[in-house]
Amino acid sequence: MKRRSIVALLLAVVTAAAVVATTSGATKKATANTLTVWLQTDAQSGWPDVVAAANQQFQSDHPGWTVNVQYQTWGDHLQKLDTVLAAGGGSGSPDVVEMGNTETTKYMAAGAFANLSSSKGSFANSANWLSGLAKSGTYGGKLYAVPYYAGSRVVTYRTDLFSKAGITALPNSLAQYTVDARKLAAKNNKKGFSPVYIAGTDWYFAMGFVFDYGGGIATQVSGKWKGLLSSPRSIAGLNAFKNFFNAASRASKTTDETHPNPYDVYAQGLAASMIGPSWFSCCVGKQYTGVTKQFVMPGHVKGTAMPGFLGGSDLAVPVTSSNTTLAADWIKDFTSTSSEKALQAKGNIPNATNLLGNSVNERAAARSWFVPTAKHWVDVENGNILRNMLAQILTGKLTVKEAAQSASDNIASVLNQP
Amino acid sequence: MKRQKRLRRLGWDAVAILVFVVMVFPVFWMISTAFKPNDQIVSVNPTWFSLHPTIAHFTAAIHKPFFWDDVKNSLIIVLTTVAISIVVAFLAAIALARYRFSGRVLFIVLVIGIQMLPQAGLIIPLYVVLARYHQVNVLSGVVITYLTFVLPFCVWTLRGFLLGIPKDLEEAAMVDGSTRLGVFLKILLPLMAPGLVATSVFAFITTWNEYIFARVLLNDQARQTLTVWLSYFYGTSRHTDWGALMAASTLTAIPVVIFFLLVQRKVVFGLTAGAVRG
Amino acid sequence: MGTSRRRRRLWERAGRGSVPYLLIAPVILVIGVILGYPLYWLAKLSTEQYGLFELIRHKGEYIGLANYRSVLHDQVFWHTLLRTVVFTAVNVGLTMVLGMLMALLLVRVSTGVRLVLSSGLVLVWSMPVVVAVQIWYWMTNPENGVLNYALTELHLGNFYAHDWYATTFSQLFMVTMLIVWGALPFVVITLYAGLAQVPRDLMEAAEVDGAAPWRVFRDITLPILRPIILILTSLSIIWDFGVFTQPYLLIGQSKITAGNFLMSIYLFEEGYFKSDYGRGAAISLLMLLIVGVLSIVYVRRMVRIGVET
Repeated sequence: MKRRSIVALLLAVVTAAAVVATTSGATKKATANTLTVWLQTDAQSGWPDVVAAANQQFQSDHPGWTVNVQYQTWGDHLQKLDTVLAAGGGSGSPDVVEMGNTETTKYMAAGAFANLSSSKGSFANSANWLSGLAKSGTYGGKLYAVPYYAGSRVVTYRTDLFSKAGITALPNSLAQYTVDARKLAAKNNKKGFSPVYIAGTDWYFAMGFVFDYGGGIATQVSGKWKGLLSSPRSIAGLNAFKNFFNAASRASKTTDETHPNPYDVYAQGLAASMIGPSWFSCCVGKQYTGVTKQFVMPGHVKGTAMPGFLGGSDLAVPVTSSNTTLAADWIKDFTSTSSEKALQAKGNIPNATNLLGNSVNERAAARSWFVPTAKHWVDVENGNILRNMLAQILTGKLTVKEAAQSASDNIASVLNQP
Repeated sequence: MKRQKRLRRLGWDAVAILVFVVMVFPVFWMISTAFKPNDQIVSVNPTWFSLHPTIAHFTAAIHKPFFWDDVKNSLIIVLTTVAISIVVAFLAAIALARYRFSGRVLFIVLVIGIQMLPQAGLIIPLYVVLARYHQVNVLSGVVITYLTFVLPFCVWTLRGFLLGIPKDLEEAAMVDGSTRLGVFLKILLPLMAPGLVATSVFAFITTWNEYIFARVLLNDQARQTLTVWLSYFYGTSRHTDWGALMAASTLTAIPVVIFFLLVQRKVVFGLTAGAVRG
Repeated sequence: MGTSRRRRRLWERAGRGSVPYLLIAPVILVIGVILGYPLYWLAKLSTEQYGLFELIRHKGEYIGLANYRSVLHDQVFWHTLLRTVVFTAVNVGLTMVLGMLMALLLVRVSTGVRLVLSSGLVLVWSMPVVVAVQIWYWMTNPENGVLNYALTELHLGNFYAHDWYATTFSQLFMVTMLIVWGALPFVVITLYAGLAQVPRDLMEAAEVDGAAPWRVFRDITLPILRPIILILTSLSIIWDFGVFTQPYLLIGQSKITAGNFLMSIYLFEEGYFKSDYGRGAAISLLMLLIVGVLSIVYVRRMVRIGVET
């Protein structure tokens, strides 16, 4: 009797303590009128005031409602979204989610988002949305995700090294940039120094060449995907990339653009310029911040820009939300003209062409390219098809024609999966 | 004889220090990076020890939103889980190691089988179950989830320790007239102390560092654990602030070491090994 | 006096029947309540076509064993399985051998050094995996990693800018080092706790009799440690077979290919990344079966030990 009761007593005490400690949070139940918004952590650290302003606007338009913004991280926000979709919603599930513009198509095709077509007119500047973003929010002719902001790719360079190499005017064509790269190499023969640091398998940059020469990655012909990398124009672009890389970059031919980070190489003094998002200028090291500026990557035709990959985010309403109209209202407030202008002031590209300013980042966005809006595009990325192709081309393992043909066929078969 | 023993011990001490240096080097690297100014972190020639240490990263880390809330949540979740799992698992381990009952083998298979399940596959259905019981976004939901994964391990390990204690010790004591409870308190518990300590340290560390379930189950940043808080340092699409991340990681490691220092003192590492009378 | 003892024994025999069930009840309750539905879900999904589309509608299409058949006919599955088995064997072997040596070392050192070394091990154990991977990468990267620097300085060869992540073997070798390093603390501390149960005077008596240290180890220490060694080995097999974070992050998403898959990465890529939950469930259950088979020898011995005593 004693033993059993002591066991039971122990268990009871421990359990009681645990219950008290852990469920005390549960009593603070969310009020019935809460709108839950999932934004990425970039907003929390970059522009919390813009978020606060939108919340304020929403709350004044809808008295009795509060906005609960829960910040997510890029690594697992999709996993969390999947669990919410599987559970069919429930308390605390999001009414608005931020999605990367390459992530949306798969979810739109599966019917994860609410149809916002009827509200399209109410979103500010919707007639002038950047095409790269607008495409990523539309599926089957219907609107499922609203453009939020974008970022393009620019050249970040060392003004001191450029002037020391005798480069007086910024290059306005690919050929000129190649000549300049050779000048920079001549004046800086440190081991591992790159006039233009580009990682070998940086397909975000390399595909710009393909589009610059009029080629493409894939296109839909009567419902079926057809690979375009093997077309003569694409191959011309890939050749141009190969030549530029060999002249300008001493980076590894087989590793990606995060091993190492270009800005780390730049900060170590081993690059005269690098190509990447405009925020790269944040991390060039104390000693070079004063001599760092940016310009738009030139295309092969004099005076044009190289098409840059338009990265960005959209805002969608999951079908599991029970506040679709209010969610659309919040999105309207968060993407209003004043909101977008505030985002622009923080260095982002706003979501509409009529709002574009003159920063290097925005000028680069004038000519941009985007990935095929296919349900299985993420599988192409995950399978590293483009990266492998670039590695094969640069190392000479395959000729440009062979590598492009193989990648093209590969991509078509992946995209054409049911 | 004594001097020879002392020399031999010194020799082993030297070997142990060498092993310590090799094993701890990555941790040292993490801590020293936390004190380095940014340009020394990415420099071409790695600096072993910064001559201009800075605590800027630590201040940045502590001021990142919800740090103290998340510390509190982690402590509550982990201490609750460890306390419950040690008690409950110990009882189950006694049943397995000292009793013969039908269904015994089935229970063992269940215990070991749970640990063989790839956890990735359980995330979605577990969330669905917990959502149904309103255990999402509350600490108790996380505690129950952790218990599910930690209990089988603790049962399995404690049973192993129990089996190392000869049964005749208990039986001799019972012949001498002590009650079952007396045997438990005076003989079994002290002998099991090292095993209980090792198992509780494991339970502590596993739950302290657990990430994915905490991530999926806890939405409000005020309710999250330290590992989720840590993920915000490397979860942006922009550059990662390595100095701050290393400082933040060092901070999250501290409670673990404190816990270990507290429990180890009571038992094994303070005493000489094996104080058991045969 | 006589009646009370008789009464006590009678009552004990009656109570004995229900005591073990009472003792294991909490564990069964927790596991049943939480994992019951997920296990059923996994089993059910493995027989269905269940992707993102079906997830949103909470309804899959029954396809029998097609998921299993597709996996078992996949060449990549079999190559990955072989690679993972070898990988697991190497990891577990290294962990147990090095762990045993370090635990024995812990016994022989002075108290202060013991505290230092064990605290160091706990420090290692407490490092978040993501951070450990990043540190490991910094230490081993071709551009400025200290590993290359140290190896070249020690005149063990010319390792200048040596890329440890160029070949599959090299990549998995790096991952093994990282995993063994991270696994040692638990094994060492647990083995040391086990060694603490070995009766000191038994060992001393044997040494006085002139027995060599390794004989003492083999004849006295090892038998007492057997249950713990079996447990640690079986656990290591389970963990190392299903390890995910370290290889995925260290090798990096851009270098992961079918040629260097490990089972958990195969599961992730073929199941969850493609949002093919049905296939993922089938692979999970297959992995469960395989790990069960791999560790059966140890598990059976563990089960039998309890029965014998």
